[in-house]
Amino acid sequence: MVTLTARRSRSKPPTGTPSRHVDPTRRQQAVAAWVLALPFLALFVVFTAGPVIASLAMGFTDLRSTDIRDPFAVEFVGLTNYTDLLADPLFRKVTFNTTLYLVLGVPLTMAAAMAVAVGLNRVQRLKGFFRVGFYLPVVTSIVAVSVVWKFLLRDEGGLINTVIGWFGVDGPGWLDSTTTALPTLVVMAAWRNFGALMVIFLAALQTVPRELLEAAETDGATPWARFRHITLPMLRPVMLFGAVITSIGYLQFFEEAFVMTKGGPLDSTRSITFFTFDQWGFGNYGLASAAAYLLFIAIMLLTWLQFRLLREKD
Amino acid sequence: MRPTRTAIGLVALTTASLVLTACGRDESGAGAAGQSEEISGGEAEGTIEVWAMGTEGEVLQDFSADFEEANPDATVEVTAVPWESAHDKLAGAIASGETPDVSLIGTTWMGEFAETGGLMPTPEGLVDESEFFPGAWESTEVGGTSYGVPWYVETRVLYYRTDLAKQAGWDQAPATWDELKQFAEDMESGAGAEYGLNLQPGQTGSWQTVLPFGWSNGATLTNEEGTEYTIDSPEMTEALDYYTSYFDAGLSPTRLLDPGELESGFAKGQYGAFISGPWHTGLVEDAGVKPDQYTVAPLPGPESAPGNSFVGGGDLAVFEDSDNAESAWKYVQWLAEPEAQQAFYDEVGDLPAVQSAWDSGELAEDEQLQVFGQQLNSAESPPAVPTWEQVAAEIDSLVEQAAKGGLPADEAVDEMQSKASRIGTGL
Repeated sequence: MVTLTARRSRSKPPTGTPSRHVDPTRRQQAVAAWVLALPFLALFVVFTAGPVIASLAMGFTDLRSTDIRDPFAVEFVGLTNYTDLLADPLFRKVTFNTTLYLVLGVPLTMAAAMAVAVGLNRVQRLKGFFRVGFYLPVVTSIVAVSVVWKFLLRDEGGLINTVIGWFGVDGPGWLDSTTTALPTLVVMAAWRNFGALMVIFLAALQTVPRELLEAAETDGATPWARFRHITLPMLRPVMLFGAVITSIGYLQFFEEAFVMTKGGPLDSTRSITFFTFDQWGFGNYGLASAAAYLLFIAIMLLTWLQFRLLREKD
Repeated sequence: MRPTRTAIGLVALTTASLVLTACGRDESGAGAAGQSEEISGGEAEGTIEVWAMGTEGEVLQDFSADFEEANPDATVEVTAVPWESAHDKLAGAIASGETPDVSLIGTTWMGEFAETGGLMPTPEGLVDESEFFPGAWESTEVGGTSYGVPWYVETRVLYYRTDLAKQAGWDQAPATWDELKQFAEDMESGAGAEYGLNLQPGQTGSWQTVLPFGWSNGATLTNEEGTEYTIDSPEMTEALDYYTSYFDAGLSPTRLLDPGELESGFAKGQYGAFISGPWHTGLVEDAGVKPDQYTVAPLPGPESAPGNSFVGGGDLAVFEDSDNAESAWKYVQWLAEPEAQQAFYDEVGDLPAVQSAWDSGELAEDEQLQVFGQQLNSAESPPAVPTWEQVAAEIDSLVEQAAKGGLPADEAVDEMQSKASRIGTGL
């Protein structure tokens, strides 16, 4: 009993006169916390923070693959890499393409996810079957999916052109034309990605209060009005989350184009990430780092914008 | 307190100050050093670590038993490296200084790795340069200094369906550009081929088919010293114009074929002919083409065959950071001996880079192989400069624009030149 009171009196100094010395128990806890966090911190600094900062630094130098034996013996070139990129017609083209992926892909993916989620929310039987079915493409390897779609989309003998051929439509070589290649990739990417959002939307739909919907129905609101004025506003935070992660995904569009079109025809499907990948392969480490940081800035700006537009208005 | 943020700040500061204070490069690039000193005679000793890719990597260990027998104090340790990751692994090894002693290096990587200073110049008198195919030897020379020894080679020739050619009225291979064009037209009109000659309409690697037409026509990619690009010549324009005329005339498809499409189409008689390397003999036979249904021929030149072709393959290089360089070079020397070259052909089918290895055995008797051997005498390699891959990608992209985008050949060639000059040689 004595020890207990003693400890209590130590841990609670009289109010008004804050103790100068740190509580030894808390200090021990702090030390323990740091010791426990150290392995992670060390890994984080060496493998995450270090490379991130190194690549930022690289973007201001003319480092090339031929400098790897002596990476500090390079010239500091200031913003030259950034200005070179902005002046490069190919970089402008891939920026335009990436913007197209974004503005076509995000609405399409979100609309598809929402439509299927609303539909599935009503379905009573085989719910699990449909959920798994729509989610399956998300967990399948992008490369495998892309290879299969490449065959489906073949000009001659591809399943898609064969099927629309039955209705007398002569399908084009979807991936061989500069006008259809990019939209085709967007459709495929939307098909592959909407499952993840669908699961999230489906969960959010369950949280919409049933009483609210029933009250609106009693007041004579049409199904569309109920969806538009009750369900959608209630889903706003989830949609913000969906928009942000989907946008980040489309801004980094790469694998589908890499496997299916190799960036062609005539660079019409090359994205910023693809461009960065190429530059890295050519050994232009400085320029590639700068391109990666430009993309990073774009992602930050877009995310900030979406938070501004979609956050709760209260 | 925000320790993480402080730590990051510190790292950033250190990195930035290191970069700022230590910057400035010295101007001595590859080739400044000259060849290494002659190695001493005698047997090799110690452990020789070797990296090799693909099939070569799988069989080289057993193949080296003869070398170990002749040099009892030496042990060869071969590590098989997949081609896909080989470039990054080599770059990483050079950056860290933890290299093997010897490695197989793709010919188009020589410029880059030599320029890093990671490769050791070939010692004086190690091998006789004139024993190798000239194009293959050129691939080892960066800035006038040789950084390795050619090991095996491959070159591109014309493949065509002999039965279809006969139907179209051709008993022998076309020898000139005009004949080749006529041949492709006849393949379509006389033998029912959908496309007379499949040429790659730009995109990755198309330069390997396009540039030989330029070389055949007398065009060069760089000046004698290899310091400046000289792509924009009338000869190159004429060659590209000739190349793209196949797409304009519908003699070649303007879309990129899927893997396997060419071989199955060749078997079905859809494509009458194409240009490719030695690996395609196996591929077309797998696709169902009987050996008597097709043959290979040297590439036609503007006036007579053979025209020039592309030579690729693999070189053997020894690293600056090798701690057993002397013995490593002896091992390289052994692999470049005609007997070892011939034996290695028997083992994996790699075409020998040493000319005399072609004088006997299967290589001397097989007619198809002799076509490759003949073509290798007039085959060139691209400039061995560190920036070649990037210049090649620009050429590929402009070939694509000329082949299907309607860009006139002279403008495409001008653009190739200005893009290449802007990129520079990187030496």
